[in-house]
Amino acid sequence: MELEKVKPGMRCRIVSIDPSGMAGKRLLDFGFIPGAHVEIVRNAPLADPIEVVLHQTLVSLRHEEAKKIMVEVIE
Amino acid sequence: MNNPCSGCPGSISCLPTEEEPTENQSIADSYTVAFAGQPNVGKSTLFNALTGVRQFVANYPGATVEKRSGIAMVSGVPLTIVDLPGTYSLTSYSLEEKVAVDFLLKQPIDLIVQVADASNLIRSLYLTFQLLELERPILMALTMTDVARARGMEVDVEKLSIELGIKIIATVANRGKGLQELKRTMIDSCAKPTKKPGFSLDYGPILEPVIQKTTEELATVDISPSIPLRWMAIKIWEDDPDLDRFIHSSQQKRRIHAQR
Repeated sequence: MELEKVKPGMRCRIVSIDPSGMAGKRLLDFGFIPGAHVEIVRNAPLADPIEVVLHQTLVSLRHEEAKKIMVEVIE
Repeated sequence: MNNPCSGCPGSISCLPTEEEPTENQSIADSYTVAFAGQPNVGKSTLFNALTGVRQFVANYPGATVEKRSGIAMVSGVPLTIVDLPGTYSLTSYSLEEKVAVDFLLKQPIDLIVQVADASNLIRSLYLTFQLLELERPILMALTMTDVARARGMEVDVEKLSIELGIKIIATVANRGKGLQELKRTMIDSCAKPTKKPGFSLDYGPILEPVIQKTTEELATVDISPSIPLRWMAIKIWEDDPDLDRFIHSSQQKRRIHAQR
């Protein structure tokens, strides 16, 4: 599923990522790569941003960007 | 000699403007080091700690992004340190990155120092691999090693150094820790530069053959000699939007585009 749709408090593993465009490249630079674990801190369905923890760093994403990241929920 | 210039009213004459200082004016017994790193890794703290008050702010032509440079004296040898804008990557997608790449590849620098946050090392390593691909002398300065320790993380500097094939110095810049060792290592590395970093990232069985092939093809293209061909080949396959600035002939630019 898309990272965009994951509920707060859940942890997931990145399955794939759409690397196209500047946003895609920047996500890769931040370490959003297949296999990396992400915890969702805050996610309002209609409003930006989505807050996630990746590699002990809090990252804010737009829904548009979070759509590029496909994940599977671990817990 | 004062030349009256057309822009000045009547009696006032202005001094001829001095030529912009260029980086290639380096004297034989001084060295230039470029600080590269992601935003917020403590680059400027380290820069200030090393250069003290002898820093000045400079704007360089062609970009509005600022590079700061200052001088650190190490046992009588002036070491010019250029603090590049913080970048997450080395692509052409943003102006800061372009400024950083162009400086690192086109200027006659003696050494690149990657400033990396020890308390969040994994994030810095993405940039490390990109910097290693520039095939220039490089070392890593780990910052905030005290913060890392407080979070229960101890970086095995020796092991990391062996794995990456580069020298790594642990520092706590705002307490002055590790700065003398860093200075000494920088001077040593400038005086006895290693040709290439020992590490090369393996892109795997699908990408390696195409990267190799493109690298070989690039050998016949008129590219600025300071640009490593493997780096260029990787950027071509990453679909980097602005590589043309490194290629001299327009016919060859079209050829490179046709390959994509």
